[in-house]
This record gives sequence, structure tokens and C-alpha cells, in this order.
Amino acid sequence: MINFEEELKKFHPSLEVEEAERTIKHQDLTDVVDVLVRVAKDAKEEQGN
Amino acid sequence: MNCYRCGRPLSEKNFCTSCGADVGLYKKIIHTANRLYNEALDKAAVRDLSGAISCLKQCLKLNRDHVDARNLLGLVYFERGEVVSALSEWVISKNIRPKKNIADDYISLLQENPGRLDSFNQTIKKYNTALAYCQQDSTDLAIIQLKKVISMNPKFLEARQLLSLLYINSQEWERAKKELERALRIDINNTTTLRYLKEVEEMLPTEEEHGKKKKEAIVYKSGNDTVIQPVGKKESAGLQTVINIVIGVALGVGVAYFLVLPARLRQAQEDANVRFSEVSEKLDEKTVEVDGLNAQIESLMQEKDSLSTSLDAARGTSSALQADTDLIEAALLHMQGGGAEMEIAAALALIDRVYLEQEATESFRNLYYAIKNDIAQKVAKNSYDAGYAALRAEDYDVAIENLERAVEYDPDDGEALYNLGNAYNRSGNTSLAIPIYEQVVEQFPNTEKARKSANYIKEIRGE
Repeated sequence: MINFEEELKKFHPSLEVEEAERTIKHQDLTDVVDVLVRVAKDAKEEQGN
Repeated sequence: MNCYRCGRPLSEKNFCTSCGADVGLYKKIIHTANRLYNEALDKAAVRDLSGAISCLKQCLKLNRDHVDARNLLGLVYFERGEVVSALSEWVISKNIRPKKNIADDYISLLQENPGRLDSFNQTIKKYNTALAYCQQDSTDLAIIQLKKVISMNPKFLEARQLLSLLYINSQEWERAKKELERALRIDINNTTTLRYLKEVEEMLPTEEEHGKKKKEAIVYKSGNDTVIQPVGKKESAGLQTVINIVIGVALGVGVAYFLVLPARLRQAQEDANVRFSEVSEKLDEKTVEVDGLNAQIESLMQEKDSLSTSLDAARGTSSALQADTDLIEAALLHMQGGGAEMEIAAALALIDRVYLEQEATESFRNLYYAIKNDIAQKVAKNSYDAGYAALRAEDYDVAIENLERAVEYDPDDGEALYNLGNAYNRSGNTSLAIPIYEQVVEQFPNTEKARKSANYIKEIRGE
């Protein structure tokens, strides 16, 4: 049986056009390649030490 | 594929031939991202938008610069009615690859039509309002708002899901099912939709129960309405329909006659009463005004009469004074002597006859006639001469003036009287000529003047 109150909590206000700029600015664009490069860089620095 | 470190193109080797970086793992990541993109493409093609979104998000987590994946994600969002999310993806995509990017077209499509973008924004705002209503337990208002949202943007998946949830909450299973089926047509594999649909289907009667119901009633659709008709009942025949229409019309007329008409009449009567009282008030005001004006007129008339009386009195005094002055002047001229008879006559002529006969004193009259008698002979002669000369010269106005004076100073002068008649006759004033001629005939009978005068009278009268 669906719990209305619980289900309602899953719905969130939709983004309005005025909020588009803020959404784009705050979007996390980090990908796995970034992580990989960072790990490689950190490993290299450790080896250097 | 380019090296993540130096950006040069990579070969089939697992290291960069330019910078020597180990790119084995990097290549695997990029390949996985591409595989996920392809999977998303397949899912999007069969409208599994949720699945496509999931794959594309993973793809972008592996390779954020995958422009095609980002553009596709935007498209999928747009298809689900999430315009702002779609715009965000396209803008980021355009930042990654500013030229030769299809995201340009998508963004332009929205930006070039501000009305459409505004319409989308209005839809979103209404959806958010509906959600707020739900949280405030105003589900009826929320349903109304969501219906508007869906009519404005039928692809808005979340709005349809929320509406179906509200229907489920109010146990309107059929409506919820319809809404969920429409939501499924947008996104066939959305877990929320599927979960709600499962719930709804559980609550709806099974086929067996439905079959039982079918036996009891025939269910069919008429437009958007579901009509449940008992099995025993036959469908209305044409005659039945006509009878129903007639009954309906009769009922309508009855309602109009008994309910609407009296109300209208009462209203009209009230309006008429109000207007009547307004007009009566105005009439009263006007009557008061007219009474005031009448009183004013009466007062002014009284004032006018009083002023007229004063004016007459003043005139009387004035004419008496003037007559005295004229007589004194005539007397002075008479006393001076020396042939001023015509001037004396002129001065006497200025005295008003009415005043002389009715208002003047006895001594005034005596003096007046004494002077007049003294100058009568000379004035009569001079006047006759001047009048006759003017008559000959056809100057009738001068002739009449002098001949009248001649007759006045010597009433027995038949020639003067006869020529006065001629002067009137020749000047065209025949109505005055006739009495003069008659006077000649009467005063001087058996004379040539009398005979001529009689002839002139006949001539004038056309006898």
C-alpha cells in the first residue's frame, strides 16, 4: 500500500528558468578521469618524496 | 581519443606516444562511457527515458566531456518536461564544445521563442504551487492546478505522477490508472509510474469481478464518460428521445415561467420604482425652482409697473416744461416782430397737442391761440405758396408739410385743402387723399375744386 505522505516527500519543486544559471554554476562536473589524474599526480608526488 | 595529460591523439597502444603517459585505464573508462552512451541511445529510442537518464548520468560521470551524451541527456529531460534541466545540460555542452554543437540549435529554439519559454516557466511555477497545495492538504486545489499544468505541457511526467498519486489518495483508481498509462507513454520504464500502476491495478476489480459486473451492467464509453447501463434496460428508442426532449423543454419553460420570470418582473418593477422616485424628486426640485422664478417674475413686474409710473410722471413733467419753453420762445419771437411768423409757427408746432387740449392751463391756451391768430394769415399764405411750389416741383413731402400747415392756419382756404388732397394723391397716399377730397366736396360745394375732388375720389375708387 502506498503511503501518500511518504510518496509526497519524494516530489521536489521543479527548477524554474530563473534558477538555471545557479544550477549550472553549482553542478559538480568532476568525472572519473579527473579522479584518475589526481590519483596519478598524488602517487607521483609521493614517489618524489 | 586524446591523451588526458597532453591532449594529443592516442594510438592503439596503451601509452601516449607523445608524452608517454599510461592511458590503458583511461581508454577503458572512455570505452565504458561510450558503451553507456550507446545503451542510453537504445533506451531512449524505445522511450525508456528513465533508463536512458541513468545510463547517460553514468556516462558523464566517467567522461564529463562527452558532448553527445550531454546533449542526449538534455533531450531526454526535455521530453519529460524538465525544461530547466535540459537547458542546463545544453549550456554545459556548448561550453565544452562551442562550435559545431547541436546544443546550439536546441538553445536557439527556446531562446528565439520567448513566449514558449515563458509558457514552460509558468507550467513549472504552477507545478510547484500544486506541490505546495499538496503539502498543505489542499488536494482539490492541487488537482485543479495539476490539470492546468498538464494541459499546458502534456509531457510533464512528474506532474502526471503527482496527479495520479492524488487520485490514488482519493481512491479514484480509474482516473489514477488513466493518468499513469499516459505517464507510461512518456517514459515506459519509470519505476515510480510502474509502482503506482501496480498499486492501482491491485485496487481495481479483477477480470473475474469485472466479468460479474459486466453481467449486471453494460459498460460503454460515450466521449470521455463511462456509461454503466443495467443489462435489463433497453437503449432508448427514437420516440423515447423525442419525448425526453419535449419533457425537458416543458420543464425548462416551467422553470423559466415560475422561477425566472417572476424574479425578472420583480426586478424590473423595483427598477421602475427607483426610477419613478428619482424622477419625482427631480420634478419636485423643478417645481420649487419654477415657483421661485414665478415669484421673482411677479416682483420684477411690480417693480416694472412702479418704474413705468415714475417714468410717466417724469415724462408728464418734462412735456409740460417743454411746452412752456416752446410757448415762451414763440411769444418772445412774436414780441420781437419783424417777419418771424414762420419761426413762431415752428415753435408753436413743437407744443404737444394733447397737452395743449387736456393738461395745459387756461392762460397757456389763451396765449397760444392769441399768438397763433396773430400770425395765421401770414403763415397760411407763406405755407400755401411754399406747398404749391413744392407740389409743382413734385416734392410731395415738402408740399404736404406746408399745405397741412396752411390748412391748419386757415381752414377756410379751399385751394390749400384741395392741393393738400392732390399732394397726397400724387405721392400715392390715396387713403389720406380721399378724406381730404371729401372735405373739399363738403366744405366747398358747387365749385370747380369740389367737382375735381369728386372725380378724383371716383378715379381712386375705380368707379
